[in-house]
Amino acid sequence: MSVSGKFCAAAALAVSLGIAVGGASLARADERAAELFQLCATCHGDDASGNFLYGAPAIAGMAEWSVKTQLTKFRDGQRGMHFDDIFGMRMRPMALTLRSDEDIDRVAAHVASMPATRPEAELHGGDAANGKTLYAPCVACHGMDGEGREQLSGSPLANVSDWYLLRQLENFKAGVRGGRPGDQTGAMMRAMSGTLSDEQVMKDIIAHIMTLAK
Amino acid sequence: MIDRYLVALSTYASDIDDLILLIGVLVGFWFILCEVAFFYLIWKFRAKEGVRAQYMSGEDPKHKRWITWPHLLVLVCDLFIVVGAVRVWYDVKQNLPEPYETVRVIGQQWAWSFVHAGPDGKIDTADDIKTVDELHIQVGKVYHFKLEARDVLHSFSVPVFRLKQDAIPGRIITGWFEATGTGEYDIQCAEICGIGHGVMAGRIIIESAEKHASWVSSQSPISLAAVATP
Repeated sequence: MSVSGKFCAAAALAVSLGIAVGGASLARADERAAELFQLCATCHGDDASGNFLYGAPAIAGMAEWSVKTQLTKFRDGQRGMHFDDIFGMRMRPMALTLRSDEDIDRVAAHVASMPATRPEAELHGGDAANGKTLYAPCVACHGMDGEGREQLSGSPLANVSDWYLLRQLENFKAGVRGGRPGDQTGAMMRAMSGTLSDEQVMKDIIAHIMTLAK
Repeated sequence: MIDRYLVALSTYASDIDDLILLIGVLVGFWFILCEVAFFYLIWKFRAKEGVRAQYMSGEDPKHKRWITWPHLLVLVCDLFIVVGAVRVWYDVKQNLPEPYETVRVIGQQWAWSFVHAGPDGKIDTADDIKTVDELHIQVGKVYHFKLEARDVLHSFSVPVFRLKQDAIPGRIITGWFEATGTGEYDIQCAEICGIGHGVMAGRIIIESAEKHASWVSSQSPISLAAVATP
């Protein structure tokens, strides 16, 4: 074998070894993410489609940055620390079990990689047509199709359970969410929720958001 | 003696420690004695050349004595434990001293929340201070707590007080404590209450009169509203 041939063979061996080692490390990361997700699955379900009875919303396929943001908020006490946030208080200790930022990243990536589920409608009485008009101010941060905008920290809304959306809007309006120190984006949403006059308005907007589910 | 190794900060903590120590000493004494006798007899009556094993029915008073005497002595020890336990139970659970203030303690999956009396010193009024996972109290004052559970069984446990009280949905259970020192310590849930039970932790912050007054005034809804309004 010529010198260049030997060099090529050595390079090919190094690349294959690199791929093998990299592949093994990725597999380990996936394993760890799946292991961490087991705790989430207790309430959110194996397919992360949510569970109304446990107050756990559908999270499958949710944008990675959004899952990461919310998990960090729970862990740092910006969510789930209000006296009346019963379900938030349930989620906070779960986020506290994620000991490092890397673990949060892994869980977020795992959740984002799951196929999104179309949540079943639990709320009744919402007027989607009226909701479409009322949704106009939400577009700037949450996007026309409820896809969310990372730059503005507007969480994705499409494919989120309707009962969960209603609870969060009520929480924002009542100051249960968005009032903790350090939660700037929550504070913005809290201010926006002040423009929603009553539950019917919220239901109308949510009925429109439900039409955006994919 | 136990408080040398584990911080004890309530007026009744030493009573509970002493009771645990009494039980430990009595049980430990009999355990060691029994083990010594057991191994001595095994050694003394080990297999020997030319000696046949005997079958004993246990009806001979000479043999029964090995059971009846220790049994009676253990019952005497039990009397000491029962008298001590009833005394501690009465002091901790039944004879509630007059409170300086009352605090509402609410357990839920998986957090502790608290309603403190505001500047008016009374709970269930407009100036109440509501917190999550943080209980603020003043040292040297008797507090009553009204314990509730929002969902399932929990148990309000403050190890430095040696306090443990089950919280039962639908019931409001009253108890008391008086802290004897300042500092920040753990509150735990001592009843398996679901997957987050192990991380259902709170903190109790025991403060001097001045610090507590300053915390109350900084947290009262009226003060907070003043801060929020520019």
